[in-house]
Amino acid sequence: MSMPRTFSTRWTFTAIAVAAFVSACASVPADNVALEEARSNYNGARNNPRTAAAAPAEMKAAEAALQAANDAWTRRDSVAEVNHLAYVAKQRVAIAQETGRQKSAEADAAGATVTRDKMRLEARTNEADDAQRRAALSQQSAAAAQRQSEAAQLSAANSQRQSEAATRAAMASQQQSVASQQQASDAEMRSRQLEAQLKELDAKKTDRGLVITLGDVLFDTNKSDLKPGAQRSVDRLVVFLKQYPQRKAVIEGFTDNVGNNSSNQALSGRRADAVRMALLGAGVAGERVAAQGYGESFPVAGNDSAGGRQANRRVEIIVSDDSGNIGAR
Amino acid sequence: MLKTTPTTSRSTRMFVVLSSAVGLFAACASVPAPTQDMALSTAAVANAVSAGGPEWAAPEMRAAREKLDRANAAMAAKEYEQARIWAHEAQADAQLAAAKARANKAQKAADVMQEDSRVLAEELDRKSKAIPTTTPRN
Repeated sequence: MSMPRTFSTRWTFTAIAVAAFVSACASVPADNVALEEARSNYNGARNNPRTAAAAPAEMKAAEAALQAANDAWTRRDSVAEVNHLAYVAKQRVAIAQETGRQKSAEADAAGATVTRDKMRLEARTNEADDAQRRAALSQQSAAAAQRQSEAAQLSAANSQRQSEAATRAAMASQQQSVASQQQASDAEMRSRQLEAQLKELDAKKTDRGLVITLGDVLFDTNKSDLKPGAQRSVDRLVVFLKQYPQRKAVIEGFTDNVGNNSSNQALSGRRADAVRMALLGAGVAGERVAAQGYGESFPVAGNDSAGGRQANRRVEIIVSDDSGNIGAR
Repeated sequence: MLKTTPTTSRSTRMFVVLSSAVGLFAACASVPAPTQDMALSTAAVANAVSAGGPEWAAPEMRAAREKLDRANAAMAAKEYEQARIWAHEAQADAQLAAAKARANKAQKAADVMQEDSRVLAEELDRKSKAIPTTTPRN
């Protein structure tokens, strides 16, 4: 078929117009409310990220349905068909919206689960922290209690020690007092002893010191060795001198005026020596005892009677004071 | 209504145009039975029911069933075009019912979850207030 171009164009247009008219099947309204609603709903869904992003497949289906409705509208299909397609498009948009709502609800639920798990974890952590803190506290208080008990023990030990020390001190002071008492009583006893001994020794207190006079009963006439009975007097003297080691003694011998002077002098010296030797023999140190004979000198009685002469025949023992001093004759 | 031109050569073309128009009219009347649409709609309604549509999206579910019934009636009356339309709409309604049911269920679950969280938070808050965090005294 060949025809001029102007004709072809015109006829093509005519054919399209006829086809459009015929396919409309009925009168076409100026506007379709259902389609407008579907478009509006679709645009709203597309602009809502909770729908557009969450339900892309459903949005695509809605878009295709809307496109079909639009196409039907453009094709001027029947109102019923356009309304139908618009309704389907509207429902597809609603499906996309519901799917979006479902997705966001699921996300919320997941978020709530995460939040709840986090809260539980936090609570458990707090509980654990609390328990730990309480444990640390109780440990601290236990440690404090232990420290206190240790301190108490220490102070108890201290006080025990103190009381022991006090007891010891008391005992010591008691001992001391006992000792001093002892000392006092010792001293007293000793002075009493001394007095008794001196009394026993028949000692006399003089300016030169204690003087003990041994009578002539200790020696035979013209003899200078001690008679056995003299030993008791010597023993007493030894005991006394050993008891007072700081004291010294001078032993002096005397005679009566019978016989010549020089022999009397010699005899008195030998007798004093005999007593000294007896003391040394009993253990008294030699430097503590001196002996001196005075013969007829220093008579204590008259030589004109037998009693007087007997009193003059004597040995005197002069005991020093505690410093060892003896006054000179 | 038809635009005609008085030339004979044009009458041939006119015939073509007219016959095509008639063809289009015929298309409007004779529609094949929408068996596939019917099957899809029936399946969609069943799916919506199993998704909890009757409970969670009652209006949409009711609409879908009603339209499926109408589609079936149209099929029986061999009004295939109408059957296709009802079937198509019933499918869309059923799918919306299913989607809405799923969304409502998800929403409910989320609400329950959030309520649980709120209750838990309240409980924990009360607990943490009941047990004061003791700081060690020196």
